[in-house]
Amino acid sequence: MIFGSNHIDLVNGAFWFITGISVVLLAMITFLMIYFVFKYNRKKGKKAVNIHGNTTLEIVWTVIPVILVMAMFWYGWIGYRDLQNPPKDSMIIKVTAQMWKWTFEYDNGVKTDSLYVPVNKPIEVNLHSLDVNHSFFIPAFRFKRDVMPNKNNSIWFLPAKVGKYDIACAEYCGLNHSAMYSKVIVMPQQEFDEWMKMELAKKNASVTQPLKTIDSTSTKQK
Amino acid sequence: MQSDVNSVGYLDYKGKHSGILAWILSTDHKRIGLLYLMSTLSFFAVGVTFGFLMRLELIAPGRTIMDAQTYNSIFTLHGIIMIFLFIIPGLPAVFGNFFLPILIGAKDVAFPRLNLLSWWLYIGGGLLAIISVFLPGGPVDTGWTFYIPYSIRTGTNVLPALMAAFILGFSSILTGLNFIVTIHRLRAPGMSFFKMPLFVWSLYATAWVQILATPIIGITLLLVVIERIFGVGLFDPALGGDPVLYQHLFWIYSHPAVYIMILPAMGVISEIIPVFAHRTIFGYKFIAFSSLAIALFGSMVWAHHMFTVGMSDTAQIIFSLLTFLVAIPSAIKVFNWVATLYKGSISTDPPLLYALAFIFLFSIGGFTGLIQGALSVNMHIHDTSFIVAHFHYVMFGGTGFGIFAAMHYWFPKMFGKMYNMKTAKVGFWTLFVGFNVLYFPMFVMGWLGMPRRYYDYLPEFHIYHFISTIGSWILITGLIIMFTNFIKALRSKTKFTEINPWGGETLEWSIPNVPPLENFEVIPTITAAPYEYKDNEELLTKEEN
Amino acid sequence: MSSVAEHTTEHVHRDDLGSRMGIWLFLFTELVLFGGMFLVYAVYRFMYQHEFHIAAKELNTLIGTLNTLILLTSSLTMVLAIVAIRKDNKYLSIFFQMVTILLAFGFMVNKYFEWTTKIHHGIYPGSETLLAKGNGEVLFFGLYYVMTGLHGLHVLIGMVLIGVMTRFTMTGTVNSDKYIHLEAAGLYWHLVDIIWIFLFPLFYLIT
Ligand code: HEA
Ligand code: HEA
Ligand code: CUA
Ligand SMILES: [Cu+2]
Repeated sequence: MIFGSNHIDLVNGAFWFITGISVVLLAMITFLMIYFVFKYNRKKGKKAVNIHGNTTLEIVWTVIPVILVMAMFWYGWIGYRDLQNPPKDSMIIKVTAQMWKWTFEYDNGVKTDSLYVPVNKPIEVNLHSLDVNHSFFIPAFRFKRDVMPNKNNSIWFLPAKVGKYDIACAEYCGLNHSAMYSKVIVMPQQEFDEWMKMELAKKNASVTQPLKTIDSTSTKQK
Repeated sequence: MQSDVNSVGYLDYKGKHSGILAWILSTDHKRIGLLYLMSTLSFFAVGVTFGFLMRLELIAPGRTIMDAQTYNSIFTLHGIIMIFLFIIPGLPAVFGNFFLPILIGAKDVAFPRLNLLSWWLYIGGGLLAIISVFLPGGPVDTGWTFYIPYSIRTGTNVLPALMAAFILGFSSILTGLNFIVTIHRLRAPGMSFFKMPLFVWSLYATAWVQILATPIIGITLLLVVIERIFGVGLFDPALGGDPVLYQHLFWIYSHPAVYIMILPAMGVISEIIPVFAHRTIFGYKFIAFSSLAIALFGSMVWAHHMFTVGMSDTAQIIFSLLTFLVAIPSAIKVFNWVATLYKGSISTDPPLLYALAFIFLFSIGGFTGLIQGALSVNMHIHDTSFIVAHFHYVMFGGTGFGIFAAMHYWFPKMFGKMYNMKTAKVGFWTLFVGFNVLYFPMFVMGWLGMPRRYYDYLPEFHIYHFISTIGSWILITGLIIMFTNFIKALRSKTKFTEINPWGGETLEWSIPNVPPLENFEVIPTITAAPYEYKDNEELLTKEEN
Repeated sequence: MSSVAEHTTEHVHRDDLGSRMGIWLFLFTELVLFGGMFLVYAVYRFMYQHEFHIAAKELNTLIGTLNTLILLTSSLTMVLAIVAIRKDNKYLSIFFQMVTILLAFGFMVNKYFEWTTKIHHGIYPGSETLLAKGNGEVLFFGLYYVMTGLHGLHVLIGMVLIGVMTRFTMTGTVNSDKYIHLEAAGLYWHLVDIIWIFLFPLFYLIT
């Protein structure tokens, strides 16, 4: 198994783990409430009993939840850990966000507005914003990372399956925030190489100089 | 005049002013409470309408009834109004003002004039927020979080909105300050801290959060104002400022603020359950201290709103860990409430129904909070409608239903009228069903990747948005049923004179309906803890506390 | 509870301890407010250590020191005013209050000259000269103007407060038996002083 390819499973795992526990507890609580309401209903005319409390019980229902949430925390953390350290051999792509579009630039200077990547190759995206905060969100891959004007975030992922997936902007950025969609296209390696060849040819044909790295300082002068 | 201080109810008490002035200039905590009730409800009506309009827009993809700009302004105003004008003052300022002095056997709060001032500030801030909508430049469109840099780039009326929030913060601080001093200085003879009703405990914890956290948001918003006017550069990345720092400052207040919202509601529930189970509350001390624990831990988890901005791993771990721990005091409360039903003698009147609904809905909201607190999962669901569902479950399913419960519980005491029980129950069930139909689909879409603050959406989410919108209609119907029921009761001639309809044992149930100006003819002397139902058989255990 | 007796007699009862408590809580919120600003300062100071040092050189340490002395003395005179009223020495108290106001005024005059000279040197938010400098210096002066400005605002409010108190002392609303208002104004004034005690080294002495 390739390092990181199980990210999606880890996220889903943590999600269903916590949800599972929650559903059980919620069912328990709800059942007890309803059961008591009927069993000890005033219509039955039984006298109530004053029970001031029970320290052992209090300890039990403090300790058990503590254990449960610690487990939840741990499950959440191991799924996050991976996202932080990209493997050495990962392919680096520069992502530039602006109101309201994405631009992707490959190390050979090729620029596109959807993200083309080879399957099963770790991809590291370096995130830059030209104006306000955005957030680079690929629902299918279960992660997002904020894109900020003064801060160069980066994150990596491993596209494990060929296909087309949505890229959304998940940080409110004004008028067309909800239209700031793009696609990530995952293709087999050789198909990707051919695509890249064509793009390079196109690029060298046209006379567009590569977009110069813009960061906060350059917006300063205005 | 001394005479009718105790003979006439506060509603028709004649002071030196008359007409409307007798209200807006009154320093009587009960009248101020009603002022707050009326004003929060009016702003609430506006907020609800906005919510309703958003749902209409989202019923189908693409443009339905408004353009994107309008939508962005509407969800922003919806958020600002609901948070700063409705849910934060909702319980402390309305029911806290009205019942805190009565519950501790006092004639009024410590600083009655200050109390009136905070209402005026509240109104001032509220009006400013409303006015800002009509000023040239258009209503603010930043989201209630005012994130930099967008909030210093956009051309809309951010300034008035910020100033409004700032003023409202002031009002909230003054209320908190007033309550703390009141609780320390004005408790009736014999009422030790552990003889205080739990609603008072929760208000006490809330008040501390209010005065400790609110100044931070005050200064933060002020800085944004200065930033916009003078371009000082404190937050503007173009000048070296750091937007992430802004987010920290914002959440240092705004997370504790969510506990300002929920704690008083928890207090109300802790009042209602023992009364309708007609027995002692289970684990009084644990419930009381868990409020303080929430106030304490709640102030150390703010960055769980920022897991995706790229903080250091250590920060991520600490904040995630603390987020999970802050759930424990809430857990303790829930379990004690349920245990209080055990071996009770339960009557299912509307207040109890709302209380039980609170426990159910708040638990769902809380559990989903845990889901969001898990680092890996948060990477996926942050800023999706999953979050939106979470906070509507806690804020509105929790605090909102708490307020409803309080209204049904204290209505006869406040107005000396009684609403129709049957209608109230119908209203309750409509609200309950509508609520879940409205918000549950948002969890599903959120998990499937529907981002929040989206004017438009991909077709695959249509069905969920559609159901959700239908839910909003059911919900509003429930609202209308409930409020018409109240209004009918208020209109009716028949006075409701039964002093203690629910068989409560806290002080408010020992004074006449529509309490007199000074609440008590003689300040009572407290001997027993609250909720001692002496007529029950005592269960003798050594673990008594 | 002690206050119950008077409680039953008058609606708005008197409880000095309660009032004092209220005042302290309020001052506390003020501290938290400035605390937020100091937080911002700390973060940027950490991010731009070097530039902060350079920028601090631009500030006139002399005026800063002078203002510090002025405020400290004014705190003293304020205390004396309260002592005087306690001793039922009305006019002495009024005198000391006026001195306090005068000193506060002196402080503001100093500030005025300090700011205007800066502005003449073209150092103010958004100015060409400032923007030409590094981000760190922009932030330093941004903080300088905002924080000393906010503090100045508090000084002004303090002056008004004390002014009102002087009036009260004249009319006798504040007297040897009931001087809680004056005390409150005094506490507020000490707060203003303390905040300056923090601002001074942070801006003037870090060179
Ligand atoms: C009343 C308001 C309120 C309350 C009480 C809470 C309570 C909690 N909230 Fe929530 N929250 C909000 C209002 C509130 N929240 C708002 C408004 C936002 C969005 C802001 C914005 O971005 O616009 C938000 C967002 C938010 C986020 C950020 C999501 C994101 O943007 O990425 C997170 C993440 O951790 C979170 C977590 C929690 C947790 C762990 C609790 C806990 O306190 C919950 C504790 C309760 C329970 C756990 C249930 C009861 C317990 C039991 C039934 C017993 C069993 C329990 C265990 C096994 C532990 N909340
Ligand atoms: C208490 C807080 C509160 C309440 C009650 C509501 C009520 C509603 N909200 Fe909410 N909402 C927020 C707080 C609240 N909202 C916040 C903070 C945001 C985030 C804004 C942002 O992103 O910046 C938000 C965002 C938000 C969105 C997401 C916008 C987006 O991200 O694109 C939507 C979408 O449908 C929505 C819908 C609704 C609807 C239909 C209602 C209602 O119309 C439902 C009908 C209401 C009721 C049935 C009444 C409830 C009654 C009470 C609570 C008690 C009554 C009180 C007294 C009597 C004193 N809201
Ligand atoms: Cu870009 Cu939202
Ligand atoms: Cu939070």
